Amino acid sequence: MDPIQTANLLHTRRQLFNRSAVGLGTLALSSLLSERTLAEASEFPSFAPKAKRVIYLLQSGAPSQMDLYDYKPHLKDRFATDLPDSIRQGQRLTGMTSKQDRFPVAPSMFEFSRHGSSGMRFSELIPHTASIADDICVIRSMHTQAINHDPAITFFQTGAQLAGRPSMGAWLSYGLGSENDNLPTFVSMVSGSGGQPLYDRLWGSGFLPTQHQGIKFRSVGDSVLFLSNPAGLTNSTRRRFLDDLSKLNHKKLIDVGDPEIATRMSQYELAYRMQTSVPELTDLSHESKETFELYGEDAKVPGTYASNCLLARRLAERDVRFIQLFHRGWDQHTNLPRDIRKQAAATDQASAGLIRDLKQRGMLDDTLVVWAGEFGRTVYCQGTLTKNNYGRDHHPRCFSIWLAGGGIKGGMTYGTTDEFSYNILENPVHVHDLHATMLHCLGIDHKKLTFKFQGRHYRLTDVHGNVVRSILT
Amino acid sequence: MYLNSAVPFPFLSIPFLLVASTSHLLAEGELDFVRDIRPILSDTCFQCHGPDEDKRQADLRLDLELPARADLDGNPLITSGDLEKSELYLRVTSSDPDLQMPPPTSDRQLTSIQKELIKQWIKRGANWESHWAFSPPLRPTLPEVANSIWPKNGIDHFILRRLEKEGLSVSPASEKRTLIRRVTLDLTGLPPTPAEVNDFLADDSPRAYERVVDRLLKSPRYGEHMAGEWLDVARYADTSGYQNDGPREMWRWRDWVINAFNDNKRFDEFTIEQIAGDMLPNATLSQQIATGFNRNHRGNAEGGIIPEEFQVEYVVDRVETTATVWLGLTLGCARCHDHKYDPFSQAEFYQFYALFNNIPEHGRAVKEGNSPPYISAPTHTQQQRLNEMEERLQELSREVKRNEPALREALTKWESENNSDKPFDSLIDDGLVRAFSFEETPSGFVDGQPEFAKHGDGQAVVFDGQRHLVAGDVANFGYFDKFSFSFWVNPTSNERGTIVSRMEDVHRSSGYSIRLTNGGIAVDLVKRWLDDSIRVETVDAMIPTETWSHVAVTYDGSRVAAGIRVFVDGVLQSQQVNLDYINQSFAADDAPLRIGAGHGVDGRFSGMIDELRIYEKELTPAEVKILSEPVTVAEILKIRRNLRTTTQFEKLRYWYLRTHAPQRIQEVFIQHRNSQRELQQYQESLPTVMVMQELKERRPTFILKRGEYDKPGGEVTPGIPDALVPQKESISDRLTLARWLVAPSNPLTARVTVNRLWQQIFGTGIVKTSEDFGSQGALPTHPELLDWLATELIRLDWDLKAFLKLVVLSSTYQQSSVITENHIKLDPENRLLARSPRLRLTARMLRDQALLVSGLLQERRGGPSVKPYQPDGLWKEIATTTNYEQSTGPDLYRRSLYTYWKRTVAPPNMAIFDAAGREMCVVRSSRTNTPLQALAVMNDITFLEAARVLAERAFREAEADHLARINHAFLLATARFPDREELKILAEAYEHHLVNFQNNLDAATALISHGDSELKHRLDKAELAAMTIVTSTILNLDEVINKE
Repeated sequence: MDPIQTANLLHTRRQLFNRSAVGLGTLALSSLLSERTLAEASEFPSFAPKAKRVIYLLQSGAPSQMDLYDYKPHLKDRFATDLPDSIRQGQRLTGMTSKQDRFPVAPSMFEFSRHGSSGMRFSELIPHTASIADDICVIRSMHTQAINHDPAITFFQTGAQLAGRPSMGAWLSYGLGSENDNLPTFVSMVSGSGGQPLYDRLWGSGFLPTQHQGIKFRSVGDSVLFLSNPAGLTNSTRRRFLDDLSKLNHKKLIDVGDPEIATRMSQYELAYRMQTSVPELTDLSHESKETFELYGEDAKVPGTYASNCLLARRLAERDVRFIQLFHRGWDQHTNLPRDIRKQAAATDQASAGLIRDLKQRGMLDDTLVVWAGEFGRTVYCQGTLTKNNYGRDHHPRCFSIWLAGGGIKGGMTYGTTDEFSYNILENPVHVHDLHATMLHCLGIDHKKLTFKFQGRHYRLTDVHGNVVRSILT
Repeated sequence: MYLNSAVPFPFLSIPFLLVASTSHLLAEGELDFVRDIRPILSDTCFQCHGPDEDKRQADLRLDLELPARADLDGNPLITSGDLEKSELYLRVTSSDPDLQMPPPTSDRQLTSIQKELIKQWIKRGANWESHWAFSPPLRPTLPEVANSIWPKNGIDHFILRRLEKEGLSVSPASEKRTLIRRVTLDLTGLPPTPAEVNDFLADDSPRAYERVVDRLLKSPRYGEHMAGEWLDVARYADTSGYQNDGPREMWRWRDWVINAFNDNKRFDEFTIEQIAGDMLPNATLSQQIATGFNRNHRGNAEGGIIPEEFQVEYVVDRVETTATVWLGLTLGCARCHDHKYDPFSQAEFYQFYALFNNIPEHGRAVKEGNSPPYISAPTHTQQQRLNEMEERLQELSREVKRNEPALREALTKWESENNSDKPFDSLIDDGLVRAFSFEETPSGFVDGQPEFAKHGDGQAVVFDGQRHLVAGDVANFGYFDKFSFSFWVNPTSNERGTIVSRMEDVHRSSGYSIRLTNGGIAVDLVKRWLDDSIRVETVDAMIPTETWSHVAVTYDGSRVAAGIRVFVDGVLQSQQVNLDYINQSFAADDAPLRIGAGHGVDGRFSGMIDELRIYEKELTPAEVKILSEPVTVAEILKIRRNLRTTTQFEKLRYWYLRTHAPQRIQEVFIQHRNSQRELQQYQESLPTVMVMQELKERRPTFILKRGEYDKPGGEVTPGIPDALVPQKESISDRLTLARWLVAPSNPLTARVTVNRLWQQIFGTGIVKTSEDFGSQGALPTHPELLDWLATELIRLDWDLKAFLKLVVLSSTYQQSSVITENHIKLDPENRLLARSPRLRLTARMLRDQALLVSGLLQERRGGPSVKPYQPDGLWKEIATTTNYEQSTGPDLYRRSLYTYWKRTVAPPNMAIFDAAGREMCVVRSSRTNTPLQALAVMNDITFLEAARVLAERAFREAEADHLARINHAFLLATARFPDREELKILAEAYEHHLVNFQNNLDAATALISHGDSELKHRLDKAELAAMTIVTSTILNLDEVINKE
């Protein structure tokens, strides 16, 4: 066969953001042709998916469940009393509070009320979220094993506490590939200043080929690194540049016959298309007044959570597979009432607005939305306790998250915790279970999505995970 | 039979496999247990019938021959040649769900081809071989080949033999230009210069190429290139990796690696020094620095972590890294349970772990800087300077001593000549930040009107348990700052009361305080009271009530409790440490200095305070003594000489020395003091490096159930798995381990090492899974070649330069990389090497090449990391508190191995090109081809500036016309001249862009202004801009991005 023809045949399957069922993007030629990668990931979705894509609203720092979702009315009577040993059960605490003389109960100072047809309760901090009660499923019995931010958020993102494993989005990119030729498969966005730092590994590809890593959209400078032509180099100059480059590379391809050259040529063209498609995507100027009312005025300010939520919808419209927002600032060890107000105000409307927007556009049915932190917070107070001021330490044993959209039953709560929101009473949901459930919504059996590395067939869910069927439609 | 990844051998038949029937295939092929059967058993059966004792079902074991051939009560698993008497066959072909193996519920199922293979294997006698990698390599004889002219050395015999067998022919030798670019990139990480290319072209001798290779191996660039690769393996970084990802300092270890490669330190020594250099007899500084290898793992400094949890992770990281790098083993898989595939028990994992679990470390890492144990590691130049400074100080000390009699004589003379009744005093003023003598009323009293009482010649301030002084933004010390406080105190109650503080006025809030507690003095340097602070209190000191005491507190900025000293009446107090763990600065930027208060309303002081002096230095004991002397200098002068106390004399002497002593004596005193200070500052500025050390008393190691830090099981002694060495008892510590790693009896190290070097040169190892030589790993494409190379490396006395020379001198290496139709059809992965590989340059090579060809490269070797271009705000965006302070000047253009590596936010133009992330050991990276890479080479300022400077260089070095300039730039980047067609494309491009830029000079100006380097020549802007587009095109050429 003519090398160019061969190359053309091959490279059509080999673009980074390709359509191929295997999502293998641009592995080196060798790997593409090798039997293994195909065998490991060719069968997805393996059953009819409910969701085609995911928008994951990660609330970094760990929101306090008993100040937002997990209503504990009896705690008011126990203000400043010691957390009973029968509840505490000697479980491990972080080094920040383990040496406290006392563990006094800090009831939430916020009012809760009933919402939606199921009458689930929300705190006064999140009225907008409360207004979409019928669309979301609140899990109150989420739990994890990590007790500090870095291992905990890494665990949520990759199914392991330590660095090295692929992130959720990378797994999906690997398993499902892309539906959009001109945009990445996996996009992450960051908002919220201060708070806990984030890390490349949270959207990294671990041991998967690196093209599966998430592309971080930035709110300052180029939204994708190195996207813009430099000052002094116009679009038409770039076009001419690419045409010349293409001629020279094409000549090389004929001379040496390496199909990788054809791939590189197509990657340069794709890069050129991204120079148009990405700015078009991030340009919110044509969004309607009604839309901004939905997400809040903040949405007009690049880099805010609200703006990122709106961008998430635009990415979803363009069939980007996995869209992940990271919003920082929930780590309220002290002055929780003051800080959680700000934090809720910055996120509540836009989170709810996103759900409404997706719904009104008919996209909620095939978009899975997840709102979750990396763990919860303690019922006992860290630092000084007064009626109107308290702090809470990390608490991995129970916390609340919510899901909505593709495959999820709206208007329900799942799982219960004890009177102190300290232990789970029924229906525990582990991080692995959440992952298994998310993959299920996407038509993937979490036990089947594997990649062989260091002799093991690795999974996002390691050797664990059960699909939480009760919350599925 | 070709569905398993671990079966690279018969891939040539893949195209046929898709159409051919199984029986046809088998009839043609030879069945090989290692190649065809063991991988099936390993991948499908070992999980339940393998080495893991806990998970083993039905007491059946298929990873070893003996148990696999067991009789099993008359139902033997395998009966050679008899399918009906082979339970294995019956089970895997059964359709009864109760009998079927693997069970229908298993994730791993056998394909019909695999079943057929098992059938054929049993029919043909079911021969068995143990896993190849655990027996030491035996040196094979060189195979016979038909084409006896082609082989240049042993490598070629093995490669050619296989090609001949598969019906492939070798490629012609590369053109000289291609070859010299390839070998220069491979051995130095940089392309050749035109002069080097010309020299090679001009050299017609048969040894021309070998001379090039010898020159390259002597180049110090070789060591830098090899070190870069080793940094990936060793997960080297400039930050600690978890959460806030604070800085650390390991570049002295990097320098060690560069030097080791350049000095061609034999790989066995290279190994021993890195694993156990500290344990060698009379270990040198260099040998200690080498052990930094095993401290390059991440360290967790997050507040509130449970240190024991992460101390385990550090040890596990060392085990996994060591096992991967030297042994090619996934030993980490035996952390939670016995290994599923390889014969390593969980207990053996912890024996290996015990070898690395004996260092005096703490699970919570230091947030800013190195975590213990670390050592001062001056460079050679620094050590020389240090010696000079020490000599100078000694000299001055001797001079001070010599001056002493003269000083005393002068003082006596002065006393006899001067006589005054004027009261005065003199205290220590050196480093004084602020003194509160309370002779006048300072502003800032709150909760009551100021009150004073007489004290000595002047007055002291009086506090009543409520009233205190808010003294403003004074003494904002943090944990790196040296400081001291000196004051007189006379309390009404000595139970409690804060004398001085800078913190939010809340009980136990963050900041610092000096307070009374149970009659003694407590010093608190606090970020978080419970877990992030240094808190000490005196043990025996008694600050009596209604009596004046002098107190001094000094801190040396060392961030440890031992750095705090408390003196009462000039006497150093022993102290009890309540907490000695601080990881963040305690500086309370927003709080004022308070006198008489701190820790809220219950922390107020009652009594008198006087002469509070604050210093931004650590007072010496002698200085404290002087400060604690209540008698003024004027009064001391009145005391008869023989009645003065020693302290009084010292105070007087100190005053006299600084005010009235003969000039020469004063000068020496000042020089001595400065010299002391300079030496101390210099010592503190010296680089440190984290190293391995052994605890005197061995830390016991326990099996951790499920691998969890808080679930210890039985205790184990240090050792290594039985399967690797029969006499495991001889390996009892890191040093014996290190020596065993490079012992000739070790089955793995040499194979794993040559394989990784092979991978570095050819893109893929002979064993593709260079990280896994175990049961689940890929089989070698050329097992005999692998063993020949391994034994050759040992025969060469572990000489890496000699080994690499062998590789690049082979005909195999020197082939053309042109890909033919046949190659694509028969060997698309190029595992058989019928051609030289054509591979994209690594991230480092790509950037370094652009710097070299443009002339921007700054070749300073070694030293601290530098921060080249990076898009603004990248760190701040996700890492919150840290800012990337980009380097300036030459440091923008150093080789990429010196680029500052922040683990949680890797340098983007490295990460985009698949650079290892440095969070963990990586021995094999992917090699992708993405649009982000295209964007980077087109638009990243690194490459853009290089294009502009390359354009300038073309103008400078090729003056004739633009064709000559294009030719020259092309030559610099590719080692060849463009052909007529290429030149035409580029020349027309130049002409096109030139017109554009001439019509838009602003654009031209903008384009040639990117980057910090200045335009060196006055060139026509439009011409330079147009040439910059051309040179950028050249830097983006596939040929330039690849080695051919």
